[in-house]
Amino acid sequence: MRSRSEGPARLLWRKELRELAVSRSYAMLLVLSGALVGHAFLTAVATYAELSGAGGAPSALAQGMNPLDGILVPTFGAYDLAATLLLPFVVIRLVSAERATGAWTILVQSPARVRSMVTMKALALAAAWIVALVPGLAAMALWRSYGGHVHGGELAALLLGHVLRAGLPIGLAAAAAAVTDQSASAAIVTLGVTVGSWALDFVAAVRGGAWERIAAFTPTATLRLFEQGLVRASAVAVMAATCIAGLALAAVWLDMGARLWRRVGWSAVVLLGFVVVAAGGARLHSSWDVTEDRRHSFPPADEAALRALPGPLKVEVHLGAEDPRLSDLQRGVLQKLERVVPRLEVVNTSQSHTGMFARADEHYGEVWYEMGGKRVMLRSTIEPVVLETIFGLAGVAPPARGEAAAYGGYPLAATGAYAAAALYLAWPLLVVVLFAAFRRGRAVRRSSKGTGEPPVDKPAA
Amino acid sequence: MTVTLRIDGLAKRFGDVTALASASFDMRPGELLGLIGPNGSGKTTLLECVAGVRDADAGTVVFGDSALAPRERKNALFFLPDAVRPWPDQRVAWMLEFIDGLFGAEDGLRLWVRGALRLEPLLDKRIGSLSKGELKRTLVGASLLTPQPFLLLDEPFDGLDLRQARDLAAVLRAHAARGRGLCLSIHQLADAARLCDRLVLLADGRTAAEGTLDELRTRAGLAPDTPAGIEEVFLALT
Repeated sequence: MRSRSEGPARLLWRKELRELAVSRSYAMLLVLSGALVGHAFLTAVATYAELSGAGGAPSALAQGMNPLDGILVPTFGAYDLAATLLLPFVVIRLVSAERATGAWTILVQSPARVRSMVTMKALALAAAWIVALVPGLAAMALWRSYGGHVHGGELAALLLGHVLRAGLPIGLAAAAAAVTDQSASAAIVTLGVTVGSWALDFVAAVRGGAWERIAAFTPTATLRLFEQGLVRASAVAVMAATCIAGLALAAVWLDMGARLWRRVGWSAVVLLGFVVVAAGGARLHSSWDVTEDRRHSFPPADEAALRALPGPLKVEVHLGAEDPRLSDLQRGVLQKLERVVPRLEVVNTSQSHTGMFARADEHYGEVWYEMGGKRVMLRSTIEPVVLETIFGLAGVAPPARGEAAAYGGYPLAATGAYAAAALYLAWPLLVVVLFAAFRRGRAVRRSSKGTGEPPVDKPAA
Repeated sequence: MTVTLRIDGLAKRFGDVTALASASFDMRPGELLGLIGPNGSGKTTLLECVAGVRDADAGTVVFGDSALAPRERKNALFFLPDAVRPWPDQRVAWMLEFIDGLFGAEDGLRLWVRGALRLEPLLDKRIGSLSKGELKRTLVGASLLTPQPFLLLDEPFDGLDLRQARDLAAVLRAHAARGRGLCLSIHQLADAARLCDRLVLLADGRTAAEGTLDELRTRAGLAPDTPAGIEEVFLALT
């Protein structure tokens, strides 16, 4: 079962895995993950096949067929639901159950530190979440077996996004379970914060401005970046900081003997540290476009020229938050500029949300580009036009563009064979069999009889 | 060298309710100390505060010459709460091995505990399925595996029948004889008087008296050779 030479960390790690292995909530998460992924994958494959010209239909969109958007994101999208609605209960169970049963009182008197115990719980939960990703990976294997294409970088970014995404409910639910006395209270707090983040997404979409900058780091928004094949250092930093802050709060409140004022004080320190780290992390500009079609990047020659711009570039936008032209501008130009221009300032001065009632702003719809004291106004959101304007402002000649290989797309009319059997039947069956085996598993006896006499006396310390 | 544990002036309030007003007593190595008092006298709160798993409003715990902060007390003592059922989905054998490994029990102690408390038939049982008496024996067994010089047990005889209680008393006596100091919270006064070397009387959150039964009789104004039992002594002193 274990060796006496094992350190406390290893013992605690194995304990957490044992607890997860016999946890009904975790078994339920695994079973439902299979069902959710199965449904998402089969739907995505069918839609992809239809758009690829299945059944003899014209394949008008075939050249634009991208497995990242068509298969990977919808399939793994099921995990967003699981991370939001199922994973918190697994986390709360792992933390609250030990408090409710008295196990935690025993553990805190062991040589192990509280932070080590919380760390082991977090690592075990991360491992459990990675196991839960198996149905998604199985779906990708099936997709490959159909002859489908999977770009390694895109899949890796998506997996990273879902692992980091799971870190948010792990940190949040652990903190909630530690601060509150009841599992139900912890669940309410966790779901309340989740609903709050959805509300923040909504407000940001309507109002823009500061709301939008804050909402850029909600679970939904950060996951969307990874789903688009864009790995931003700021998103990774803020997601990791949020998870670690939640776990640190859990460690503070699980320190049973600490006075209330001490816990509150340390909680303030943790929150302050989180704000500082998250604010610093949010300013990180490094990002990596891992998409096969380089959708977040300008052509290499343009990027090299943009990196060498002589001065800071200011972009003044007069577009409402819900104006579709703003989305086009952000996706097609601004996000790409942010990745390569060292000194870029983007300001949106519009007070309107939609632009429908923006008559008072005579400049509505304009985008001003300013560099070295010169300003140029454009209404176009088309990439080559904007780049030509910027290079003109900088006084540099637009670089010669080579013949870049166009992204050909990967159309595939597959039927989704074996997916239902694998994800609806085999996976749940495997989970149920393993769950039953773990719960039924007999303990290993390492001895048979005691001597009836205490061991040799040893003086107390 | 004999190192004692001195509990001095521990106090704890829950809002307007005073659970502990001022509790003070000594624990000595190799001794069975009985903490007795009626329900609501503050026994459990006192043990929790001594162990450092609940923050006390006032008071100190001194081990030898060193005052121990709450988080340091796990170096000197281990506290087993009453009415707990840890890791209910796991097996008894796993828990004993886990405690053994985590706390670092002495070689041979695990075998002795299993035999002395007759835990062998329980090893494959799930902790959640144990009867109250089986659970108590298992948890006391686990606590005996911990290495701290002092051990606090909250109601160790609760849920045990007469035979089990007598067997457990013998095990605790043998364990204390190894040099470990045990403090047992017991609400059955007769059990406490029969088993313990010394007694601490707790009433209304205060230590009413501390000493051997004869010392308590004397303090209560009852002649040591009188047949006055622990009940009369307790009533006289509280």
